[in-house]
Amino acid sequence: MHLPDGIITAPAIIGGYAAAAGITAFSMYKIKKQHINPRNIIPRAALLTAAFFAASLIHIPIPPVSVHLVLSGLMGVMLGWFSFPAIIVGLLLQAVMFQHGGLTTLGINACIMGVPAILAYYIFYIRKKSGQKKPLTHALLAFGASFIAVVLGALMAALLIIFATPAYLDAAAERNAVIALSIAHLPVAIIEGVFTAIVVLFLLKVKPALLECDGQ
Amino acid sequence: MIDKGYINKTAAQSILGRWEARLKLPGLMLLIFTFAFIRDLRLLPFLVLAAALTYSFSGLSLKHLIKRMRMPGFFLVAIALILPFWSGQTILWQLGPLALRLEGLLALLVITVKFFSILILVIALFGTTTLPQMAIALRAIRIPWLITDLLLFTYRYIYQLLSDLNRMRIAARLRGFRANSFNAIKPLAFITGTMLVSSHNQSERVFQAMTLRGYGNTKQPLPIFSPIPADFILLAVYILLSALLILFQFII
Repeated sequence: MHLPDGIITAPAIIGGYAAAAGITAFSMYKIKKQHINPRNIIPRAALLTAAFFAASLIHIPIPPVSVHLVLSGLMGVMLGWFSFPAIIVGLLLQAVMFQHGGLTTLGINACIMGVPAILAYYIFYIRKKSGQKKPLTHALLAFGASFIAVVLGALMAALLIIFATPAYLDAAAERNAVIALSIAHLPVAIIEGVFTAIVVLFLLKVKPALLECDGQ
Repeated sequence: MIDKGYINKTAAQSILGRWEARLKLPGLMLLIFTFAFIRDLRLLPFLVLAAALTYSFSGLSLKHLIKRMRMPGFFLVAIALILPFWSGQTILWQLGPLALRLEGLLALLVITVKFFSILILVIALFGTTTLPQMAIALRAIRIPWLITDLLLFTYRYIYQLLSDLNRMRIAARLRGFRANSFNAIKPLAFITGTMLVSSHNQSERVFQAMTLRGYGNTKQPLPIFSPIPADFILLAVYILLSALLILFQFII
């Protein structure tokens, strides 16, 4: 879901950066509200960002192909509001080190991955609001959070490709392309949901504190 | 390209390598964004020329460029399959329901040239800049400290974690694990979970060690900014080039 340089129109690039700047500022406001000294949490967030960076290189086999993980849902679940700056950093490093994604599309890509990550955080947060402590509730919420994060990200990417590329397609082709891209991501969303649910159950047993990284 | 924190000696001593990062980053980023805004077909040769000239200032070899030029991503391939057949009215060639259209082909040409020209600039920029230099440059252009600190710390751990992940995968393979079916998802999730737990434990130790050394208690000033006239001349050249391209694109 990394849009490369060169395919997006100027207004979309500017809009993407403006939106990413606004969400980063709001994320920082929320982080400062949640943590007395936000610098204290940076080494931990950085290590987890690096861990996500490494884990995103894992390929899950679905014979005859394999898919690589997006992990925006898991990042939202574990990092909360920190997931948005963490995603910006991860995307910047991917663009610089491996030429995945792009620099001009960094703002757009951050929104495509970061907004679903924050949504995933709030979906997973339902467990605290409802007071549910059962592993099954955690697993179901983790699955739902990650599934929705991937589908929303794919939908945002599809809409951007269709409406923010310099060429124009007819209405029927646009509709078909959005539907096709969204359907193509459904298996990935299911796999990512199952993967996140297993990781959350693992962490619940081994280190539950890792699921409380939002400081709440 | 930045590789484990080092850039090669030839690149470090090149024109771009010696250019003060706090001026190089805005100068080249301005050109990169200008490239992204170009739609006029007549400007495409100038994009290629500017990218090639900039790359020649980097001291990096052609072999390095080819190695770094990854295969076009999924989206570029998807666009290459969609645009020429579904965008535009002027049909150049038709086979049954499949029609090759001029407008789609031209749009694809613009996208491809912009994609590769920007990629060349990115490789030249980051092949001559270390990550600490980049973080200083980002702070100088008022990027929040949270992002720059996170960037430096994350970069510090990436190679170590990639190595840890690789070790865990080798260990799993030696115990007979084969990732060849959907059932592999559970062990792979456990490997990821283990990596997250060990990273977290390590981060706690790192944080305690850093706190003892004063991290978080003092505001660290940026290193002294000491550019030479050539740094400003290069910046002026790139601003002028970007301005000319924008002028041609939007006014002429």
